[in-house]
Amino acid sequence: MLNVNLINTLSGLLLLTSLLVIETKKPRQSAILYSFQSLILVAIFLALAIRMEADQLYLWAASAFLTKVVLVPVILYRALGKVDQTVTSLNTVSAPVSVLLAALAVVVSFTVVSQIELKSAADFIPALAISVAHFFFGQLCIVTQRNLFKQILGFCLMENGSHLTLALLAYRAPELVEIGIATDAVFAVIILVALAGQIYKRLHTLDSAELQTLKG
Amino acid sequence: MESPHLIWLLFVPLIASVLSLIVHWFGDFTRPILEFLHLASVTATLVLTFIVAGQVLDAGEALAFSDWLRVDSLGALFVVIVGVMGFLSGIYSIGFTRHELAVGYTNHDIAIGGLDMGRLRVFYSLFHFFLFTMLLAVTSNNIIIMWVAIEATTLSSAFLVGLYGTRPALEAAWKYVVICTVGVAFGLYGTILVYSDAVNLIQETSKASLWTEIVKNASTLDPTLLKLAFVFILIGFGTKAGIVPMHSWLPDTYSEAPSPVSALLSGVLVNCTLFVIIRFSIIVNLALGTSFAQILFLVFGVISLAAAVFFMMGQKDINRLLAYSSPENIGLILIALGLGGPIGILAGLLQLVNHSIVKTMMFFLSGNILMKYRSRSLDVVKGLMQAAPLTSFFLLAGVFALVGAPPFNIFFSKFLIVSAGIATGYWWLMIVCMLLLMLAFTALFRMGSSVTLGQKPVEIQNGESGFTTLAPIAILMVLALVLGLFMPAQLTDLLNGAVEVVNAGVTATPLAGPNGSASVAGPLGGLSVESFFSFFSGH
Repeated sequence: MLNVNLINTLSGLLLLTSLLVIETKKPRQSAILYSFQSLILVAIFLALAIRMEADQLYLWAASAFLTKVVLVPVILYRALGKVDQTVTSLNTVSAPVSVLLAALAVVVSFTVVSQIELKSAADFIPALAISVAHFFFGQLCIVTQRNLFKQILGFCLMENGSHLTLALLAYRAPELVEIGIATDAVFAVIILVALAGQIYKRLHTLDSAELQTLKG
Repeated sequence: MESPHLIWLLFVPLIASVLSLIVHWFGDFTRPILEFLHLASVTATLVLTFIVAGQVLDAGEALAFSDWLRVDSLGALFVVIVGVMGFLSGIYSIGFTRHELAVGYTNHDIAIGGLDMGRLRVFYSLFHFFLFTMLLAVTSNNIIIMWVAIEATTLSSAFLVGLYGTRPALEAAWKYVVICTVGVAFGLYGTILVYSDAVNLIQETSKASLWTEIVKNASTLDPTLLKLAFVFILIGFGTKAGIVPMHSWLPDTYSEAPSPVSALLSGVLVNCTLFVIIRFSIIVNLALGTSFAQILFLVFGVISLAAAVFFMMGQKDINRLLAYSSPENIGLILIALGLGGPIGILAGLLQLVNHSIVKTMMFFLSGNILMKYRSRSLDVVKGLMQAAPLTSFFLLAGVFALVGAPPFNIFFSKFLIVSAGIATGYWWLMIVCMLLLMLAFTALFRMGSSVTLGQKPVEIQNGESGFTTLAPIAILMVLALVLGLFMPAQLTDLLNGAVEVVNAGVTATPLAGPNGSASVAGPLGGLSVESFFSFFSGH
């Protein structure tokens, strides 16, 4: 049996790394940091697998390693090599404000998660709350960052959050289900990167604020 | 019953999608081969949807892959919508893409582009993959796979939306993918919450993600958790369905996508996401009584209807006007479902079918206009009566159909919604709805008259757009008229069955809340689904 605190602590590290991903100025560094964060996620999956004696989670860890530590960061890193690195990371809000918003997301997540009663996750309330907060971090990144690639990283963070929730609450789901969700996630990144690439090629910008022709 | 056809129904578009992508070494024959593949696939899909629907009518349900795929009457209704609209959009696509190919793809920064062979291949491949994902969404019995399928519909249609590669098309595609993936992620949370609660109750854990199993155990689910989950689901899948205020991607996407894609997005995809919401609402009704879901449906329905009508008023772009008419109709469908009871549910499902028919037709018509004028602006598109009298006639009739004038199909579903509203004591809400619908009517009618009348620009040639782009419109027009005048027996049976499935939450549960079944079903005692159908069929 593995200490529950280890899992909760590792989850805390996830939050820290995602703040770094959001606030790092160079998108390419963000991609590397994202890879590092995914490695922590893999470690959590392994710890959960031992703790809950759930063999499926070893497979989850393996597939997360392949897709999130290797594949997605490589796709992002390579794509970022082809675009102008001088495109600075513009924010719609300043860094202190986004950190404050992030803190708010953590508080809200903890409040909500501590309300619900789930037998299967009673030990992992902090980890569960963090996974939900992480999901909101990703959204925060999408909303506050104007660089399209930062928005894609925001999607990745969001996805890591929901993946952890899934591992905590739905690790007993059939393998095919996890494969389906992971495939969607990888394809979402591929499609977003391809779209951002087309936008860069055609419109010569990666700034979402310049994509305002349409009225919404 | 086990149905091999159900498996083929999913595999046919999937195979067509893969084959379309790889046929590029046939030189001049590529286009005919693509079109042949395309036609074969949409035809086979249509036939298979009818076979599966027939099996459901005979045996009650069609199953495959050890219950992971399941179609009941509710599912069959949606499967048929995907099949029929997919087929007609498929036929329309042939004429439309040929025209766009002739226009040609250009790198210049223009408002409305054309296509080249590479893009045509992508179009056909993704068209079928998109059909596959929608069919998976409405045939899946596994709630998490349902989510996977809905997420996949966004991913498969992203490049379809941005196909023209112009600035507005790329912007719309980006917005569409980002907003919808973020929104639908909320749906995943809702789904996980339902699953993680069910997995503690259902002995065989591998079955805990099956909708049928969760429904069986619904009354023992945790109420607080389920409420939270349903709100997530409504927000999540509601983003995809274009429910206001999560609709901001919708007008851009519908207006910038190629017309057959807009038709599929607004006439079919919206229904598939509503289908998922309805599936979850059945679980919620069984566990919590009907009032929780119904109130949410009513609130979001009224907001969607009112906001959409407001946005429709000032539109100068034909597609954007039609796009905003979608949340208007989704609002009506939600209101009908929110009124509940057999009549409310029937009204909602009928409105859903009718809207699908008429909206698909309207986007085909806007496609024909676009091919002729290369514009969607009401300031440019004028004098259609002179330029293309037949298209013009269909457009005017379509406007009347869309606003719900008799004898078209939407008139009867709207009439039914109002009847359900009055019978449940929501007469004041019905007055508000009718006032809003009148405003929508003026907006649509202004568009219809502005486009058909007036002086056509001198450079526009006279002439209709061709058989493959007119025939699907004519078929849909006939459908809109026929369903306005009488109901075929098979459709009646499907609708009856579907109402029974959705209404299970009222009749089967002993746990129906204090405001649940009684207050809603009570005043409807004299008005039954059967009496409605016999009224229509005249016996």
